[in-house]
Amino acid sequence: MSLVPWRDGRDGMYGWIWRHLPGNAWVKALISLVLALAVVYILFQYVFPWAEPLLPFNDVTVDNQ
Amino acid sequence: MRVIVRSVSELCITAGTLIVLFVVYVLFWTGVKADHTMSDQIHQLQDQWSRQTAHPKASPSPTAPAKPAAYKDGRPFAIMYIPRLGFTWNKPVLEDTAVNTLKKGLGHYAGTAQLGQVGNFAVAGHRRTYGDPFVDFPQLRKGDAVVLTDGTTWFTYRIDKGPYKTVPTDIEVIDPVPRKSGYRASGRYLTLTTCDPEWGHSHRLIVWAHLDSTQPVEAGKPAALRR
Repeated sequence: MSLVPWRDGRDGMYGWIWRHLPGNAWVKALISLVLALAVVYILFQYVFPWAEPLLPFNDVTVDNQ
Repeated sequence: MRVIVRSVSELCITAGTLIVLFVVYVLFWTGVKADHTMSDQIHQLQDQWSRQTAHPKASPSPTAPAKPAAYKDGRPFAIMYIPRLGFTWNKPVLEDTAVNTLKKGLGHYAGTAQLGQVGNFAVAGHRRTYGDPFVDFPQLRKGDAVVLTDGTTWFTYRIDKGPYKTVPTDIEVIDPVPRKSGYRASGRYLTLTTCDPEWGHSHRLIVWAHLDSTQPVEAGKPAALRR
């Protein structure tokens, strides 16, 4: 086993995930969709609200209280 | 070799998707969230005010207009209307200018004068993101009305100077008598600040206004808001 589990495989990270999902192709597609939505949700709910204030759009005051 | 190429390309796809999602978040989703939160704040205020009129307090002395109670940090206390920014343009004004406060509406600089009082009532707002409240800030002109209500009184301010471009460290612009505004004597002033350029943070845009008239809410909307 190397640094990342999919390093030894022939199909990359997404291929590795795909192969490790249970069920037939339809079930896999459905699970992938749910996983992708979960990632988007976590990003919009937690990661982006944290990252956005680091950008300059918030600096609208003259004294930076 | 193949592994490296594949890993790099997968990384690029992932990073690209992430960036696109972040842009969607900043440009679109913060606006959706802010519009929702701001109308929520306005409803909260209107609820609160209607309850106040239902149970009127003991009338204050008629000679001196009562000083409003201290504003609570992060809580809305007034609604601002600027006809020049759109006839339906109205935003809640909250106390303090913390990052989280400005996500919910305009922020009143804590420590500056209260609404309608002697001194400088200073308010900051987003130019871009979070509903773009001050996106049309550069269109403000001398003579434009800035109307505020705290539930009992309408305050009509008239813009005297602006938009004036300055640097972020120029805290003098929100002084009780801001020198660069041209005001010399103490009075009831209002200052609005936002960022410039639109998406940047290198400068600030300022407008100054003075209190032109007040009227109780029972007297109806001030002339500036009537079509």
